[in-house]
Amino acid sequence: MEARTFSALGEPSRLQIVELLRDGPSPVGEIAETLTIRQPQASKHLRVLGDAGIVAVRPDGRRRIYHLEAAPFEEIGRWVDSFERLWEARLDSLDRFLGSLTERPDPPDSAPDSAPDRRSP
Amino acid sequence: MITQLFRKKKELTFERVYDAPRETVWRAWTDPEMLRGWWGPDKTTVPLCEVDLRPGGTISIVMEATADMGKYEGTRWPMVGTFTVIDEPERLAYEARSWTEGDEDGTTIRHENRVTFTDEGAGRTRVHLLVTITEIGPKAKMAAFGMKWGYKAQLDKLEELLAESRTD
Repeated sequence: MEARTFSALGEPSRLQIVELLRDGPSPVGEIAETLTIRQPQASKHLRVLGDAGIVAVRPDGRRRIYHLEAAPFEEIGRWVDSFERLWEARLDSLDRFLGSLTERPDPPDSAPDSAPDRRSP
Repeated sequence: MITQLFRKKKELTFERVYDAPRETVWRAWTDPEMLRGWWGPDKTTVPLCEVDLRPGGTISIVMEATADMGKYEGTRWPMVGTFTVIDEPERLAYEARSWTEGDEDGTTIRHENRVTFTDEGAGRTRVHLLVTITEIGPKAKMAAFGMKWGYKAQLDKLEELLAESRTD
């Protein structure tokens, strides 16, 4: 994940542009209108987003249509997924750990209420 | 900020029912010796675990990759948190930072963990964990986890999630 992905998105208007483009590709004129900013300003923001690999442009006749590039977002998604898997693995590990506790003979004061149901060691 | 784009993923929830009484599960989450026993999944160890169990107190845990993790051997992933809620034996919450040792600036992520313990009767306990990721460092990567713990079921899920995150 590149630092510039984050710095590019660190500006409110650019983040708004990205949110807008999630609904589908859009020409610069419409982007400027939706954000109520001037077109040159919108172009400037789009250039920063383009340099960061977040958006790309496709000409359509005289219009320039901007769309989101999936790659940077997938990378963030993958990262979050790996964090999620870490927790899944950790919670499985807790299950094994707790299992190892009950398989050991417990001192009487810590025996669970369900003692008669416990698996024998 | 960036995670606003991924509202679905900003909050991770987990729920498990464990075959152990609530007091035991509570201790497993709060007693440093017990935490060490499970905090590191396969292929990792927990060389450091300190818990100052009071609101505002600190929890510090370091997870370290063993030789089984191949090229990641020796990589350390510390987590340092501050308890915000201690409501024994029902609720536990802390705000924490996790990072890859050696590149704290680049890899730090901030997250809040809220754990709820529910007595399910018959010596069983439901654990509900809500992890809210509030900040991801520019170079935060846990590729090691993705690669080494890619259970098949999880891989299917990964594909699903990746499909959801596509922006076309």
